[in-house]
Amino acid sequence: MIKLKLIYQVIFSVLFFIFSLPAIKGQMPSALQKEPVALVNGTVVTVSGDVIKNGTVVFKDGKITAVGHDVAIPDDAKVKDVKGKYLYPAMIHSGTYLGLMEVFRVSETLDFNEYGDINPNVRAEVAFNADSRHISLARSHGIAVAVVTPTGGIISGMAAAMLTDGWNWEEMVYKAPLGMVVNWPSMDNKTERDNAIAKLSETFKKARRYNKAKQVSDKHFHSTDIRLEAIIPVLNGDIPVIINVSDYRQIQSAINWAEKEDIQIILSGVNQADLVIPHIKDKEIPVIINSVFSGPSHQWEPYDQTFSLPAKLYEAGIRFLISGEASAANIIRLPNHAAAAVAHGLPEKEALKSITLYPAKIFGIDHRLGSIEKGKDASIIITDGNLLHLTTQIQQVYIKGRKSDMMDKHKLFYKKYSERYNRIKEKSN
Amino acid sequence: MTKAFKISLIFLLISSNSIFGQTSNIFGLRDNPPEVFAFDNARIMVSSGNILFDGTILIRDGLIENVGQNIDIPDDAWVFDLEGKYIYPGFIELYSDIGMPSIDKRNNNNNKSDANSRNSNYSGNYPGASKRGAYHNNPHVRSWYEAAGQFKPEKDKAQKMRSQGFTVAHTIPPYGIFKGNTAVVSLGEGSGKDLVIKSNVAQAISFDISPELQGDYPTSLMGVIALIRQTFHDTDWFLDAHKVYYEDPVGMKQPEINFAFASLIEAYNRKQPVIISARDEIASLRAENIANEFDLKLWLKASGKEYRRLNAFVDIDYPIIVPVDFPEKPEVDNFEKTIELSLESLMHWELAPENPARIYKEGIDMIITSDGTWSSGEFLKQLRLTVKRGLPEYAAIDALTINPARLLQIDEKYGTLEKGKKANFFIADGNIFEPETKIEEVWIGGRKYSVEKPHELTAQGKWQLSVNDTSAYILELKGEVGNYQGKLIADSKEYELKNAKFDKQRITFMAKDVFDVDEEVIRFSGQVSEESIYGIGERSSGEFFNWKAEKIDNMDDDHKPEKNNENEDEDEAEEQKVFSCVLRPPMEYGLTEKPKQVDCLHIKNVTIWTQSEQGILKKGDILVSNGKIKEVGKNIDPPSGCRIIDASGKHLTPGLIDPHLHTSISGRVNETGNAIVSETRVKDVLNPNNIWIYRLLAGGLTTANLLHGSANPIGGQDAVVKMRWGSLPREMIFEEAKPGLKMALGENVKAMQNRYPDTRMGTEQIIRDAFSAAIDYKTKRDKKQQKGLPYRKDIQLEVLLEVLEGERVVHAHAYRHDEMQMLIRLAEEFGFTIRSFEHTVEGYKIADVLAEHGAAAIVWTDWSSFKMEAYDAIIYNARLLNEQGVLTSLHSDNTRLATRMHWEAGKIAGTGVKEIEAMNMITINPAKILGVDHLVGSIEEGKHADFVIWSQHPLNGFAYAEQTWIDGRKYFDRKKDRETLKEVLKLKNNLTNKVLENN
Repeated sequence: MIKLKLIYQVIFSVLFFIFSLPAIKGQMPSALQKEPVALVNGTVVTVSGDVIKNGTVVFKDGKITAVGHDVAIPDDAKVKDVKGKYLYPAMIHSGTYLGLMEVFRVSETLDFNEYGDINPNVRAEVAFNADSRHISLARSHGIAVAVVTPTGGIISGMAAAMLTDGWNWEEMVYKAPLGMVVNWPSMDNKTERDNAIAKLSETFKKARRYNKAKQVSDKHFHSTDIRLEAIIPVLNGDIPVIINVSDYRQIQSAINWAEKEDIQIILSGVNQADLVIPHIKDKEIPVIINSVFSGPSHQWEPYDQTFSLPAKLYEAGIRFLISGEASAANIIRLPNHAAAAVAHGLPEKEALKSITLYPAKIFGIDHRLGSIEKGKDASIIITDGNLLHLTTQIQQVYIKGRKSDMMDKHKLFYKKYSERYNRIKEKSN
Repeated sequence: MTKAFKISLIFLLISSNSIFGQTSNIFGLRDNPPEVFAFDNARIMVSSGNILFDGTILIRDGLIENVGQNIDIPDDAWVFDLEGKYIYPGFIELYSDIGMPSIDKRNNNNNKSDANSRNSNYSGNYPGASKRGAYHNNPHVRSWYEAAGQFKPEKDKAQKMRSQGFTVAHTIPPYGIFKGNTAVVSLGEGSGKDLVIKSNVAQAISFDISPELQGDYPTSLMGVIALIRQTFHDTDWFLDAHKVYYEDPVGMKQPEINFAFASLIEAYNRKQPVIISARDEIASLRAENIANEFDLKLWLKASGKEYRRLNAFVDIDYPIIVPVDFPEKPEVDNFEKTIELSLESLMHWELAPENPARIYKEGIDMIITSDGTWSSGEFLKQLRLTVKRGLPEYAAIDALTINPARLLQIDEKYGTLEKGKKANFFIADGNIFEPETKIEEVWIGGRKYSVEKPHELTAQGKWQLSVNDTSAYILELKGEVGNYQGKLIADSKEYELKNAKFDKQRITFMAKDVFDVDEEVIRFSGQVSEESIYGIGERSSGEFFNWKAEKIDNMDDDHKPEKNNENEDEDEAEEQKVFSCVLRPPMEYGLTEKPKQVDCLHIKNVTIWTQSEQGILKKGDILVSNGKIKEVGKNIDPPSGCRIIDASGKHLTPGLIDPHLHTSISGRVNETGNAIVSETRVKDVLNPNNIWIYRLLAGGLTTANLLHGSANPIGGQDAVVKMRWGSLPREMIFEEAKPGLKMALGENVKAMQNRYPDTRMGTEQIIRDAFSAAIDYKTKRDKKQQKGLPYRKDIQLEVLLEVLEGERVVHAHAYRHDEMQMLIRLAEEFGFTIRSFEHTVEGYKIADVLAEHGAAAIVWTDWSSFKMEAYDAIIYNARLLNEQGVLTSLHSDNTRLATRMHWEAGKIAGTGVKEIEAMNMITINPAKILGVDHLVGSIEEGKHADFVIWSQHPLNGFAYAEQTWIDGRKYFDRKKDRETLKEVLKLKNNLTNKVLENN
């Protein structure tokens, strides 16, 4: 009986998908930039520098070529007057299941949690479904790059920075691997904690032995171990380890482990970071705040405990970025998190950086992304107001100079059903 | 007439004076020792107000023949000289389950056929366990159960209770919601018929669900309360129906015989008390509500937390049975533990011992129970703490003797040591409230019971051991009864003892080489007393020898100093009282008093979002008086003496309203035991002790509709509340709101295993079936027949009738458009309107259908794709619905989200909805849905003064609430919040330190 029910549910889900397929049409990847574009008379919020009023941004072949008041506009440029509008660099979401999930409670649509505890070798980008409905949303909401992160186990896999525009994942890889994701064990159960940390350390020891043996493999034969192979870039300092933590003890334990292993880390989900600020600061660990909305976890904590966490870390001089929730469907809330931080004390400029320039810097892609600067990607948002204001609407997005199709999953249904109501109206007239 | 149908027999057994029952056969010789004793020269507490110094009690055949000073002692009496001793009347335990059989779980699990069937009844050897007899179909209704008939003497328990002064106990069946009839039993020894003093004393009711009974329904507290209410209604029907039938049965079907209802008649007619147990002070109020509704004679088994809301109990007319099982010391030995502690738990640790005293001082009829303390032997310790914390000694004695005796109506024989009463008392070596006092003997019905000595004989210690009068050895012994460890020390040489054992009397061990002979094993054996051991031993040669040991040290250093410290620290603690006032609610950010309603308040120069025809008033003024908005406009002239707030640069909006929330609900949000549960009510289970109420205020939320969950096609009744932080549940209710009923469609309903329905098809049918039944019910109810059985009041169907008659509105959880269309058509068929759809995820697909029907849409801003039926969620849902003329409101469905509804409205404005209309969706629109738009939801003259002052434009995302007002009372002030936070942390730290000092 129960099994039958499950089977029906699965069949239903599959059918639902098949019938839903036509709905995906209309969220087109955009064509490469063909001609230079000049956006003129806009308020240019460069993020890295000053706000330029009545400014111009010129970009060519996907790169920004000029920013300022009096910049030469190439003759062949397509000039667009953005008077009254604001230009912002496109945003970076720093931890999402985008492309790896469609419907959270339908397990067949989930690809972010691989079997087993030690999965350094799995790569997020190869499972990235370029036709996921949620990607169009990210793009139309001004997110140019999403850090797609596997989860689960002890070592979850390799995160990848993915562009939100393109036909397939190969076109959309922005940087991969970006970092290796580790879940720090809970500190409450000491046996579990010690076992997990031992397993992690043991894996790293093996990886070091493997690395050493491989370097002299012309003399001695060693079989391939794809797990250990995957860890080598971490050992070489090429990519960081992104460690998921939630309480202050995990933060401290993870920092100690990283120091011992002599690797670079980024701490993610630092709910109680305010309790151990000097430790984080001394070790110069960058942190990902993805819990602005999670709310207090103890009865004695103030109501704005997590709203004000970014402000506290900022005032303490800790390198941080703000990320949204992991669910792909919630990716559009990214600027809302930053806005909440502003309401509770984070300077507006910092909030803006925390979703643009800071993630670019922390993930090592700031030479390409994160601000409106000459030489960087022409990934730009045009809005009718302050990007962080909830009431603001994003009117156009450019990703690497490509003018994005602003159609998304939500607008598609909006259009479809607006049409229905238009027809009803016509009929009654 | 009632008596004709009384199946339960009320009887009073006059307990026999002799130990043996008079009707039993005698086998062998008779025992007839004389039973006449005189207790002389004692300090006798005849009753709390009558203490005899150098008094005498004379008892004969179990009764007190005489008591007084200088009374004649007859020649046949055996006299005890109790110089220096105290005699107290025996304590009476009012809340125990002594002698009640437990359900054999193994037996239950073995019964596979039952386990497989839904509605599986409980089985096994437990009395009344099968479905055989005329019992209630719900296994939790066991009102027919009679403690007296099932009482099985439990020697160990009785002994333990006696050792703490108890001589009589009221025993309560442990299982069920209706647990059954209680009994009073003696704590002496003997067979059941010797010990049972009185049967069918009270009906016991509990809010807890006994898993042992394996019922399907209820699964939630609100289901429990509904079941209790329906059962009393059924009892009423049972009485009526049998009466009608008995008078003239011709042409009528015989009403069912049901022991469950028959057994409740006495309680229903207020002839038998109903004892209801509560887990916290709010549950105590729930018990009171039930008693009031059915006019029951309540005895409240309190939780120990009543002091936290004492104002709710001041005028009560029922007795309270208070426990003294005060909370254990919170774990404070390191930072990682203290960080997890709440101020609430620390405050309770600090104040709980004052609960009895505080209740007593209100003049409430109070009984003290040892429930939760006697089994660990902690009762007297806690009782002494109670007295130390303010309860007068005489009050404590009353609460343990005459008060329970009166309640149990056994005070003619029990409760004091007056002439003619039962010889139930205990003898102590001092004042029972002094820490070191020990109870030495307990007398019950003239029979003596020795009290187990708290300090058992131990062999532990350092002993000077001598063999043949030569003191050459030190013997060290350590261990529990059973295995011991130790060593013999001679000439600074140590010999490990092997096989050391102590059996409470004798110590045995072996040692090697002690007597300078190599490889010699010597066996020791000895009789242990407090100060010495006389022993015998055997050498390897087979030669016996004698030894003797005298104690030189107890070696329990860890124990004794601790005890001393404890006493000192307790004295110290009294001086350093950290905290004594009660906060409401009793936790972080609780209030010492209700916020004052301002007589006159003038807020000026503020941007007012009136959400009325006045639109947004820049530099506007409002005048608030006596909880209402008196004037809204510009440049208002306030009356003189009016309090003024200049809110330049700030914004003012109506208090935010969330029409769909599940916060502050005790004991589960869903009653999953049945698909149709309209009999359940959220208002029964409101929990005002919830920090999130404060946090909601901090987010500007002033009103919310608290709903039953979505597991049922027809769920429970809702409760619209105002966030009156610190109030009692009844004070939170928004009285004028339209009563509502939760319904639900789609995945959550289908997801319940082994229950109809499994599909959306079945969902439609079961709803149809329920409303059809409601119509049939009405027909039966309203039929003015000449003759016939009365109708049975059905609290489930009555609620559906209210819906059909428009007195109650439906709030229907739905995601997909098809199911909304289905429910709309079904409702139209039955002639009612769906007031609102909840979540309404695909509402935008059929906005015209919703508008035409008149259903409102309660929607999220951007929740999507968390489950299949949420896949088509779009952020433009509210916009499309609003554009098509559907009354549209936002909601949270989530307590954390509900703390930031202004940001949710901001996001809606970001989808192209006008800002004022977005603000409507969290103010006036939900007010309309809840039927309170004439009172709240906008800033208009005459409405409730529920409003929020925001730091800036409330929708842009950068704003936070600075002040939140309800009924003209300021419930949240951001500035005060910052100060309170400091106080909270300070207080928490002080209390933590106090716990530490108590270690």
